[in-house]
Amino acid sequence: MSIVQSVLLAAIVPLLFLLMRGPTAWDRLVAYNSAANRVTGVLAISSVIFHKPVLLDVAIIYAALSFIGVVALARFMERGEGFR
Amino acid sequence: MIGVILAGFGALLVAIGTFGVVRFRDVYSRLQASGVSDNAGLSLVLLGLVVYEGWSSVDWALLFLLVLLLATNPIATHSIAKSAFVQRHTGEDIT
Repeated sequence: MSIVQSVLLAAIVPLLFLLMRGPTAWDRLVAYNSAANRVTGVLAISSVIFHKPVLLDVAIIYAALSFIGVVALARFMERGEGFR
Repeated sequence: MIGVILAGFGALLVAIGTFGVVRFRDVYSRLQASGVSDNAGLSLVLLGLVVYEGWSSVDWALLFLLVLLLATNPIATHSIAKSAFVQRHTGEDIT
């Protein structure tokens, strides 16, 4: 199960590279969404491995906040104001 | 053992999805790779965690996290796709 966690953790690194490089703003938004999902999975796995149930609450709050942030940024970029 | 196999298959799916997200060129192609593989892979990883921990001592927060990810991940993907489509057809480019 620790190998699964390290695979999920290593899958964040190319997404951070894409987050720097992405040609448009939506590519960066896709990279941020994927990276937030992987961080949620890493938190859930480490909560089960280390027997700390607090980390599951952290994972739930992290997933909800990243969802709200992604939807708010997408709805903001849809109108196209403030990007001149 | 079955839980480890499920979680390993989910991690393999997430790795393939990461390769697709980095290698594709368009926003919509990236959204297709990201949305499909993230949803299926993380669902498999969380299902594997539920089986790995055992049904007797399962924590309900894990199932709640699974339901939350299954509910919110398609909404985020659809929101990004709609934002890119509407902005491309009504406004100018954003870099």
